Amino acid sequence: MSDVENSAEGSAINCTVGDTHNCKVGDAIPEWVMERVCPERMRTMAAILRDPNPLHWDRDAVAALPLGLGARTINQGPLGLSYMINMLHAWTGPESVRRIVMRFPQVVLDEERVVAKGVVIATREERGTLLADCDIWLEHADRGRLLEGSATVALVTRS
Amino acid sequence: MRPIPAESEITALVGHQFPGGTYKIEHWENFLLTGCTGAQLLPNGIAHPVALFHVPIMGSNTSIAEMFELGQAESDLSIIPESYDWEMFESIKEEVTYDISGKIIAAERRQNEQGQTYDWVQFCFEMTSPENLLSARSTITWQYTRNTL
Repeated sequence: MSDVENSAEGSAINCTVGDTHNCKVGDAIPEWVMERVCPERMRTMAAILRDPNPLHWDRDAVAALPLGLGARTINQGPLGLSYMINMLHAWTGPESVRRIVMRFPQVVLDEERVVAKGVVIATREERGTLLADCDIWLEHADRGRLLEGSATVALVTRS
Repeated sequence: MRPIPAESEITALVGHQFPGGTYKIEHWENFLLTGCTGAQLLPNGIAHPVALFHVPIMGSNTSIAEMFELGQAESDLSIIPESYDWEMFESIKEEVTYDISGKIIAAERRQNEQGQTYDWVQFCFEMTSPENLLSARSTITWQYTRNTL
């Protein structure tokens, strides 16, 4: 299988699009799992982005840093962010995301298993659209939250 | 290692406008991008929002390398992404040509909790549809670390 074949090997758990009309503050967003962060995808991404930073494609460059990360490439920030977008799409549909703000407290490394998670912190109506404000994050079993931020998604448009 | 630029050189970056231009996400590009995220292609020609990182940059006729250079990065390894803020006013589509503008909206010298100096630079890009509607805004905040590697 091609490394960039669109096979959606990331998995959403217990998720049904459209199952959000009655969402309320405190509800958890169904998780989305990236079973393996692939170094090959970082290379493809670096080429598309014209990103010269060797941290994304040269393990030796990462190993040479005084960060103790070992010989592993660092996932591009937008790619880690994209796992959370995939979670939101699986939850509320492909046109639902209105805003996403992301910070990067820790790096994501190749071969890691990471899980996108989130929780609803507010709901509101804006120009006829029911919106949910959410805290979202990308979690590693041992290292905790690697990325964290917020998102606003449309739950349903009222005509 | 290059010397730390004068603070005035950093603050003078505010207002720097990129040339601007247009960008069309072609199907092949969206296919590859979406594959990198581990998702399936979105329906109806919707581009995966991960495009909101590089499309505004390239469409405004700059590059990651030039953005590194504007802040006089010590090396490609010295940049720390602080935050990305992506606002989507409508879905971004494949095969649609967007007008894109971009500029530096903030630039400051700061110190972290360990007392290390870094330069804090914020870039803002806007994508406008052929119907002249603001489609998306991307605000990128990077830290240009100094003498830390």
